[in-house]
Amino acid sequence: MRPAMEATGLGVRYRRTWVLRDCSLSVPAGRVAALVGPNGAGKTTLMHAAVGLLKPALGSVRVAGEVAFVAQDKPLYESFTVAQMLAFGRRMNTRWDAAVAADRLAGLGIALERKVSGLSGGQRAQVAVTLALASRPDLLVLDEPLANLDPLARHDVMRSIMAEVAGRELTVLLSSHVVSDLEETCDWLVVLNGGRLQVSGDIEELLDGHLVLTGPDGVPAAGTRVVSASRTGRQVSMLVRGAPPLDPRWRARRPGLEELVMGYLRSPESAVLPHLAGVDA
Amino acid sequence: MIWVTWRQHRPQIFVTAAFLALLGALLLGSAVEASWYVSAHARPGCPEPALSCGDLAAALARRYDAVYSVFGWMPLVAPALIGAFWGAPLLGREYERGTHRLAWTQAVPVWRWLAVKLSVLGGAVVAGGLLLSLMVSLWRPVFRSGGDSTFGNIGVFNMVGVEPAAWWLYAFALGTAAGALFRRTLPAMALVVIGVTVTMFTLFRLSDHYAEPARVELSGTVVLDDRDARLVRAAWVEPSGREIAEPPDSGCARRVDVGQSGKNAEAWQACLFGKGYRYAVYYQPPSRFWRFQWTEAGILALASAALGGLAVRRTLRRPG
Repeated sequence: MRPAMEATGLGVRYRRTWVLRDCSLSVPAGRVAALVGPNGAGKTTLMHAAVGLLKPALGSVRVAGEVAFVAQDKPLYESFTVAQMLAFGRRMNTRWDAAVAADRLAGLGIALERKVSGLSGGQRAQVAVTLALASRPDLLVLDEPLANLDPLARHDVMRSIMAEVAGRELTVLLSSHVVSDLEETCDWLVVLNGGRLQVSGDIEELLDGHLVLTGPDGVPAAGTRVVSASRTGRQVSMLVRGAPPLDPRWRARRPGLEELVMGYLRSPESAVLPHLAGVDA
Repeated sequence: MIWVTWRQHRPQIFVTAAFLALLGALLLGSAVEASWYVSAHARPGCPEPALSCGDLAAALARRYDAVYSVFGWMPLVAPALIGAFWGAPLLGREYERGTHRLAWTQAVPVWRWLAVKLSVLGGAVVAGGLLLSLMVSLWRPVFRSGGDSTFGNIGVFNMVGVEPAAWWLYAFALGTAAGALFRRTLPAMALVVIGVTVTMFTLFRLSDHYAEPARVELSGTVVLDDRDARLVRAAWVEPSGREIAEPPDSGCARRVDVGQSGKNAEAWQACLFGKGYRYAVYYQPPSRFWRFQWTEAGILALASAALGGLAVRRTLRRPG
C-alpha cells in the first residue's frame, strides 16, 4: 500500500545544530499515527518538514495528496469571526467542504458570528481542526492538538477527530508528549528522541513483539534483546524483544504502550525500525 | 485570496482612504474659498505678476500657507506611516501571531500568497500616492498660477507627479522586507521610520547629480532670476575667465555685516562686478522637473523591487 507520508534520510539543521537527522519513516495510508518523544525531540520539526513549512538540509519528505496542518498554538486570525475563518478556508483551498465545516461547528455549538478572540481554548482548537478537516486532506497533521486543553476538551477534540477518520480515507499524524492521550486512538507509533528516530511501526505488532520481564538481577534472559532495564533493589524490570526466556525465575507479560515508549526513551541507543521499501540503508 | 487580503488589511485601507478623503475635502474647500475670494476682490487683469495685484497675491499666499502647514509634513510622514502600517505587519504580524503556519499550509502555495498580497497592496499604495499627487496638483494652481515652485521646493516636489506613489511603494516594500527579517511588527515599524528618513535625505543629496547642472554667469547680481531652480553651487569667475572659489586679492574691501543688513556684502559684490568679475551659478532648471521625477521614481522603484525580492526570498526559503 502506498504510504501517506514518507521521509527519506531526513536531516534538518538550525544554524549549526541538527534537530533531526537521518530520519527515514513511512506512515501507511489510513492510519492514525502517534508521534511521541520528549520536548525538543524534533517532533514539531518533522511535522513542519512534512507540511512544507521548512526545507530539509538533507533528504526529503513526500506526502501523497493534500495535507492539512494544525500548528501547536492553533493559530487563527483574532479579528475574524468564525464565519470569516471558514471563508478564509474556502478561498485558500481547492477541495473545501462547506457542509462538513458548518455541521461540525453546529454540532460543537460554536456560533458562526462569534469572534475568534472570544473563543475558549477548546473552541479555538475545534475551529482550527474544523478548518483542517473541511479542506478534505489526505493527510492531517496535528501538532500537540491536546496541549493546553482541559481533560473534557481533550476528550472532545480527540473523539471528533476519530469520528472523521472513521468516516473516510484519512491518515492522521499527531504529536503528543502525553502517551496516555493516544493509547485508545492511535494504531501507529513513531518515537523520536534527540532528533533521531527510535521506533516506527504498527502499535499492535510492536506490543506483540515486546515483553516486560521482571526477575532477580543478574539472571541472564537468553533469547531476548534487552531494550532497557530498570533496577529496584534486587529486582530488575526489563523491556525486551523476542520470545519469553525459559528460565522460570523470569515473569513475562505484554507491555503497555506507555511502558514501550518509556523503555525506548530511556535508552536512546535502542531502536526498532522496519525495513523501508525503496530506502537503501 | 483577494478577499483574504481585503479582510486582513481592511483597517489600513479604511484609514488611508478616510485620510485621503479628508485631505481632499480640505483642499477642495480651500480651493473653492480661494477662487471666491479672487472673483470678489480681484481687479481686472489680476491675478498677474503685476505690482498692482500685490494685495491679492498676499491674501492668496496667506491662505496657501495656512493649508500647506497642515499637510506640509506629508512627504516624510506619509510614506513612514504607509511603511509602518501597510508594510511592516504584512509578514511581521503573521510571524508574530504564528498565523503564517495557518496561511502557508493551505492549498494556495506560499509564492501565490505573497504575489497576491504584494501586488494588491502595492497597487493600492501606488493608487493612493497618485491620488494624493493629483489632489495637490489640482489645488496648487488656484494659488500659484504662473510662478510654480514644484521643482525648487523639495517638499512640494515630493508631493506632485509620480513622487508620492514611488515613495509610498518604497516605504511599503521596506516595511515588508523589515517584517520578513525581524519577524516582528514593532521593530519593522521602527526600521521603516528610520529607513524612509535616511533615504529621503540621501536622495535629496544625490539629486544634484541626476543631471549635469546648467551653468550661467551673472554680472551685477548674485541672485539667479529663477526662484524655482535648484542651486547646486556657485563660484566667482575672474576677468580672465578662470573660476575660483573666493577672489583672493581683488582690492575690494570686505566688511562683516551687522544683523540682517546685507549692505557691506552688496557693496563688496558691486566692487567685484565693477572690476570685471562675474558670478557663475550651477543650477538645475525647473524644466528638468519630469526628468528628476522619473529618475527618483526609477531609483525608488528599483529599490522597492529589490526589497520585495528580498522579502519573498527570505519567506520562501524558511516559511516556518
